[in-house]
Amino acid sequence: MSLFGANTGFGSGGTGVFGTTTTDSHNPMKDVEVTSPPDDSISCLAFSPPTMPGNFLIGGSWANDVRCWEVQDNGQTVPKAQQMHTGPVLDVCWSDDGSKVFTASCDKTAKMWDLNSNQTIQIAQHEGPIRTIHWIKAPNYSCVMTGSWDKTLKFWDTRSPNPMMSLQMPERCFCADVVYPMAVVATAERGLIVYQLENQPSEFRRIESPLKHQHRCVAIFKDKQSKPTGFALGSIEGRVAIHYINPPNPAKDNFTFKCHRSNGTNTATPQDIYAVNAISFHPVHGTLATVGSDGRFSFWDKDARTKLKTSEQLDQPITACCFNNNGNIFAYASSYDWSKGHEYYNPQKKNYIFLRNAAEELKPRNKK
Amino acid sequence: MTVCNFFLQGRCRYGEKCWNEHPRDERGGDYRGTQQPSRGGYGNRVWINPSQRTGGDYVQPSSFSRDGDNDWSRGGGGADVKSSDFSFSGQNRFSALASHSHSDKDVQSPTDDVDTIQKDMEIWQTSGQWPFSCYSVLPGKLSGFVEVSPEELRLEYYTGRASGDLQAYMNSVQQLADQWRSRVQELRTMSSSTRISVISELNDPSSQTSTHEFGSSASGFGTTSSSSSSSSGFGAGGFGPGSQSSSGFSFAPSKTGFGATNTQHASGFGSGAFAQPPSGFSAPAASAASFSFAGPAADNKSSAAAASSSVSAFSFKPPPGGSSGPADGGGFGQSSTRAADTGLFSAHSDLTAEELKEFTAKRFTLGQIPLKPPPADLLVV
Repeated sequence: MSLFGANTGFGSGGTGVFGTTTTDSHNPMKDVEVTSPPDDSISCLAFSPPTMPGNFLIGGSWANDVRCWEVQDNGQTVPKAQQMHTGPVLDVCWSDDGSKVFTASCDKTAKMWDLNSNQTIQIAQHEGPIRTIHWIKAPNYSCVMTGSWDKTLKFWDTRSPNPMMSLQMPERCFCADVVYPMAVVATAERGLIVYQLENQPSEFRRIESPLKHQHRCVAIFKDKQSKPTGFALGSIEGRVAIHYINPPNPAKDNFTFKCHRSNGTNTATPQDIYAVNAISFHPVHGTLATVGSDGRFSFWDKDARTKLKTSEQLDQPITACCFNNNGNIFAYASSYDWSKGHEYYNPQKKNYIFLRNAAEELKPRNKK
Repeated sequence: MTVCNFFLQGRCRYGEKCWNEHPRDERGGDYRGTQQPSRGGYGNRVWINPSQRTGGDYVQPSSFSRDGDNDWSRGGGGADVKSSDFSFSGQNRFSALASHSHSDKDVQSPTDDVDTIQKDMEIWQTSGQWPFSCYSVLPGKLSGFVEVSPEELRLEYYTGRASGDLQAYMNSVQQLADQWRSRVQELRTMSSSTRISVISELNDPSSQTSTHEFGSSASGFGTTSSSSSSSSGFGAGGFGPGSQSSSGFSFAPSKTGFGATNTQHASGFGSGAFAQPPSGFSAPAASAASFSFAGPAADNKSSAAAASSSVSAFSFKPPPGGSSGPADGGGFGQSSTRAADTGLFSAHSDLTAEELKEFTAKRFTLGQIPLKPPPADLLVV
């Protein structure tokens, strides 16, 4: 897959908006800017799966819309289509064949968007805003999993208005991830539940959270054989926990690391601690990217337990991130995440989605 | 290279000639609390080597400082006991240290926990991190914290904005913030009564509940009077009679006023309703209520499911009509209303003989702490 090419070529970004102000802090990394970004904060990003040619990016936002862009090999982004919900969109995902996009919203519904016909239909209903949506493709079934603030996790087969299954959770769902046959859901009050999806979804284990504060994001990682083996859990306290499901030595294998904190080089001055808004694993290298409220993204190698790179600070928090299917593109969204309340919310401020060439920077560090 | 165990113990006789690695960094740095001396150290070793090899690959020059903010500390600041799981999860060569520290952890005493809590509170206050989060120190979770995610708060704002009434949102945020501030401050300054309540909460959740309840009902409305240890976390105390605003903040139900510290997962309570996105939890309200006051014994600490489910149900939307709290709220609801009626305190006539005895006694007997507020004249302030 061809690369974007040197970043320098895109110094001015897709729109050339900031061609003049090169020191503009809204894009200090000089990454490619996606054209026609949403008008309000971007809550989620998802790239198309490998089953379809090309790279298509879907982004859901607090402006109730879901947008689709085609990302071309030369780095140009072309807005393709848009759909609306009646409430802010909190999560999006693709079906495994790349023909449908599922969107979950605060309007308590989830919709299936058929990209070929550009039509949407509602496929799920909850009693509270739906916070997460994932497509599950099992050998003997396929369904959409929705996690909601109504404390239930429901599974839908998109053709029926009633869920195939509904599982009760101890608390509101805050984030989830699915890599067949494992699903992890992190809830409020530090709840952490792992589900196994073979045959039919069932609860596998409840885990005592390794973190002390509110869970914010979770991402499953795979082992060398591409089997899901653990997950990374981020909290509002600038910390990520790496947790293996069945490690040979839990005390040694599981660990947490601090991230997204201001430069507290000495313990004398208090550091600023920012929430980790999203975590994504590189599909090829297995290294991970975290984005935080401090407006930075960082790349990490969890096996070597080192940091690979931290970006410059953007002027807004980074709210979402994702890798494309072959790991060449890293997309991240710069918009306000409400981490400081409504006082810092400026509806006029432009929101951005940036695309970065991720092929080189995420190579794992060689272990000693 | 393997790390030289003797060097780690300070007695390597080969010194510079040793074939094994003598790590140069000191253990110190960012770890919080004294129980994890090697945390900073590990992080350092890991950092130093790669940078020496590859040099200049890292963007942030400071990231490898001893107390590097982005340190891969073991069990980073996490609950002390829990961190034993993570600490030393470093590479095997650190096993010597690992086992050493491991034993440290095993004998964690409650006072260490309390220290950790104090430090964590201090950090929480100064770091600017999201305030509306639960907090825990292994093995227990501390009450008095409300768990609300930024998205939920934002949704409330948007809903309020759409309906034209942002005042309810502002009020609830203000209350939550006040409640958080006072709870954090309380834990940070850790008066002896707070200390007692915290320690018992961490060790024995069920009994703790009762103390909390008491406290809460008494000060339901923010007064920190309660002579008892219960924390008041109330600070914000009652969420006042939340206006039944359309934003379904369900703060409205208030009645409970419970200051959240009520129970373990009081967090639930506290803002209770807060999390309520306009649609509603309705049903859970009942369970929430019961949870809070009625059978506290039941809830808590099972850390999992059941307990938490009832707990979380706090979001209360009082059964439609916002009547005074769900029936179950029972004790709670009642006491609070009663409290409200009498202006916070019970009249002597309201109390049973046992309750009166408890109030007049020097100390509360765990398990028999009254659910109703004390009579004003019995308060020792």
